[in-house]
Order: sequence, then structure tokens, then C-alpha cells
Amino acid sequence: MSGARAIRALFVFAALVVMHYSIRPLLGWRAPIDFLLVAILLTSVRVRPGTAAMVGFVVGLAADSQTPAAFGCGALVLTGVAYAASWLKAVFFADNLALNGIFFFLGKWIFDVAFVLVERRLHGWTVVTQLLIWSPLSALATAVAGLLLLVLLRPLLDAPET
Amino acid sequence: MARAPRANSRVDLALLVGCAFLSVVAIALPEEVRQPVASGLRRTLLAPLVALQSTAEHGRAALAQHDAVIISADSLALRAMAVASLERENARLRTVLALGEQLRWGFVPAEVLHGRGLGEEFTVMLTAGASVGIRKLSPVVAPEGLVGMVLSTDPGTSQAILWSHPDFRVSAMTPDGRAFGIVRPHMGSGASRYLLEMSNVPFRNSLAPGTLIVSSGLGGTYPRGIPIGTVMQEDQTREGWARTYVIRPAVQPSDVTAVMVLLPERVRAGVSRVWTTVAAADSGARSIAAAGDSAARRAAMAEVMARRAAVDSTAGGDSVLARDSVLARDSVVPDTLVRPRRTKRAVPRADSARPPRAPRPGAAPGAAPGAAPGAAPRVAP
Repeated sequence: MSGARAIRALFVFAALVVMHYSIRPLLGWRAPIDFLLVAILLTSVRVRPGTAAMVGFVVGLAADSQTPAAFGCGALVLTGVAYAASWLKAVFFADNLALNGIFFFLGKWIFDVAFVLVERRLHGWTVVTQLLIWSPLSALATAVAGLLLLVLLRPLLDAPET
Repeated sequence: MARAPRANSRVDLALLVGCAFLSVVAIALPEEVRQPVASGLRRTLLAPLVALQSTAEHGRAALAQHDAVIISADSLALRAMAVASLERENARLRTVLALGEQLRWGFVPAEVLHGRGLGEEFTVMLTAGASVGIRKLSPVVAPEGLVGMVLSTDPGTSQAILWSHPDFRVSAMTPDGRAFGIVRPHMGSGASRYLLEMSNVPFRNSLAPGTLIVSSGLGGTYPRGIPIGTVMQEDQTREGWARTYVIRPAVQPSDVTAVMVLLPERVRAGVSRVWTTVAAADSGARSIAAAGDSAARRAAMAEVMARRAAVDSTAGGDSVLARDSVLARDSVVPDTLVRPRRTKRAVPRADSARPPRAPRPGAAPGAAPGAAPGAAPRVAP
């Protein structure tokens, strides 16, 4: 990755992090958009899997600081998701919006499933509704938002290297 | 060349394992260690983002509360608009309570239900009826004065006419009893329809604007002393022997919401000194003026008497009787505006320079000098 590309990717990443902590609470949806996951996925497909794992770990740990009861869970799950996304980047075509949408959707849903299972805070019927209703809805919202951002930020983001 | 990708893969895998291991360590951290680490991250690395999130949360809360705030502001505005009417109603109820304390007995409080239909502008329904003692012709009063009269009664309600009703009549007078008349609605047009007029006032009685008019008690329907209104002006009529005055009513029917209905026994007992708050100010001012006049008159008389005594001491003692009589007569003049009725003297004054006239032929024996033929004899006071 060249310096200019790296700077642009870093700028997009920072913008998405800021959006995660500004637009998401402003919307206050029950099925929120996960801008952090979009940022990690967009970054992961442009770096090596090891680097993606580190980014996921750092971002996850930072996010976990706001939920001390589940401290480390987000870091563990985001590490795996980022690594997998980077490892699977050859499978997805960056310019294909549908594949990217599925990529965002699956990434978010898998993250939620893994997070709920690792966190072990929810039990019984709540887990089912969370994983089968709210998580898919949140994943859908994240996928739509990710696609919109991908279209808007296309001038800044080059296609990932395969 | 194949070693490099393989080495990179090992590095990537090592990084993954390392990050995963650290994550598991973070999960396994005890609570007392986990909290400071999370807190430290929030206060350092995440501080700007936490502040941003807090601002966004506040913004969302403000947006969510916007409608509620608007509704609340609207409700407050409506309540604020109602406060003035509530204050007026409170003040009115206080005055009604004060009237109840003044009356003490023999009355029934009632609410006034205004009819809004055509032809009902001069009658009202009262929320008290015959079951609590209200009878036909019972006076209806308010703290300000006379409202009207009960026209018919049911067990629970009553129908009353207001003073604006064309059939309303009340015998009235000034508080000092100087002038009497009949008060009825002023059958004018427009706003003057809601005024009263006091007719049949003797021509010699001129009433100044602002003079209070109260019920006289004549007729038995209304007890004496209920304020009716105040004189606005004299109404120019073609009657040459009596005056008619336009009266501003003490009670506005549209403002009446709570009234007192006087029971028959209370009417018979009278309501003297009940409306003293209104009448006292008027009569008090008149009393002060009258007392001042009386004092000045006495001072002048004393000076005259002193001079006359000085003259009489040299002239003789015949004037002593006259002086005493003058003093005695003056001393019984009360400080009231009610003038003692003058009676013609049957015996001519001793100091009169004109000799007494002989009685006319045909006059009764003992009649006053100069009396008409057939006049009854008068007795000197």
C-alpha cells in the first residue's frame, strides 16, 4: 500500500470511527449501524491479515472499554473477524456492491453471534431474539450503510489488492 | 520467492494468535483490574470519542424531548391563560364567602347557570331550589349587590330573573334616605340596555353622579340596604314633577357565577350592615363632612353667643331665655344628613316685627293664623 493510499484509508477509517460515536448514538436505533465494523472490514481487505488482526484487536479493546463487563470480548471477536476478512479478501471483489453488501452483512452478524456467545451475558429467549431478530436487522442496517459509504468514498478508496 | 509469503503468513498467524491471546487475557482479567484498565482507556485514548458520544446522546435526547417540550410549553401557555380567569374566580369566591360571613344566616348559596338561548339573557337557573328553603320572590344577591329575584322554584333548582329583565322593579333610595324612587331596567338600545334607571324621584331631590342607590325595603320583597348601583346621570324626561336617573348597576349579570339567595325569614329580619364595605365608605365620607360642618357651625354659634352675652349683660335679662332656647335647639341637631322635619310655628316669634295676622273667617278655632278656611287646628310642638 502506497503512502497516499494509506493516508486516505486512515482518513476513511477515522471518519467511520467518528461516525460510530456521533451518528450512531444520534440515531438511537434498536438495530444500530455498526460503523466500527464497516471501518474494520474496509481496512482489513486492504492490509495483511496480521495487521487486520491487530487493528481489530485495538478497536475492539477500545470499544470494550465502554462495556467493562464484556471487556475483551469485542477485541477477541473483532480480531477474528478482521483476520478472516483480510484472509478472505481474494474471495470478494471490491467493486461488486452486492458482494460487499453480503460481506458487511455476514461480518456484522457473525460478529454479533460471536460476541453474544463469548460475552455470555444474555440467556434463554433473549439470546434467540437477539441473534435472530435484532442482530440480522442491525447487520442489514450496517450493510446498507456500508454500501452507501462505499459508494460515497469510492474516490478515496481504491480497490483492494488481491 | 515462495518463502516470503509463507513467512508473512506465519507472521500474520502469530499476530492473530497474539491478539487473540491478549483478548482472552482481557476477558479473564479480574473485576478489580478490568475496571481501571477500561477506565484508563476511556479517559485517555477514547476521551474525545466518549465526549463526542456524550454530545450526540444529548443531542438525541434533546431531539426526542423537543416534541414533549413543545407540548409542555403549549400546556403551560394554556394554563397561564387560564390563571387569570382562575384568579378572578378565586377573588369572586372569596367575596362570596365574605358575604356569607356577613349574612351569617338565612341564605342559601347557589351557582348561576346562564342560559345561552334566545330570550334567556335575562333569566338564569340557580342550583338550589325549594328543598333548601328557596321560595318565589326570594331576593338573589351577590357581594356587589342585588342580582335579581327568584321567579319559580323546583325542588333542586330555581329560575331567577336578573335586574335586566323587563319586569324587574325594586323600590330604592339613597343610603341617607334623602331620595326614594323605583329602579327598573333602562330600556335603551345597545349597551345602555344593561343599565338601570331610577324613576319617580321627587323633583326637589337632586342626586349627584356617583351616589349609591340601595333597596329601600318598601314592598317587602327586597330587604333594605342592598346596593343596586350608582347614579350615572339624570335622564332627561318630559316629566316635570319627578326626576329619572340612569343607574350604573352594581352587579354585571355576565360576571355572576355564585350568588346568595335570601330566605324569607332573612328578608323579614333585614340585612342591615351587611354591605357595609360598600356603604361604609360612602356614608363615612358624608359623616366626616357633616361633622366638620357641625363643628364649624358650633364654633360660629359660640362666638355669636359670646358677643350677644356681652351685649345682654348690659341690656337686661330677657334675652337669656332666647339664648338658652337657641342653644338648646342647636344642641339637639344631630350629625346626620337627615334633616329634622320643620314644623310651622303656631305661635309667632316673639322677635317678629310683623304682628300676627288674624284668622280667616271660617277657620276652625285654634287654627294657625292665616290658615285656610276649614283647616285643622295645629298644635305647637
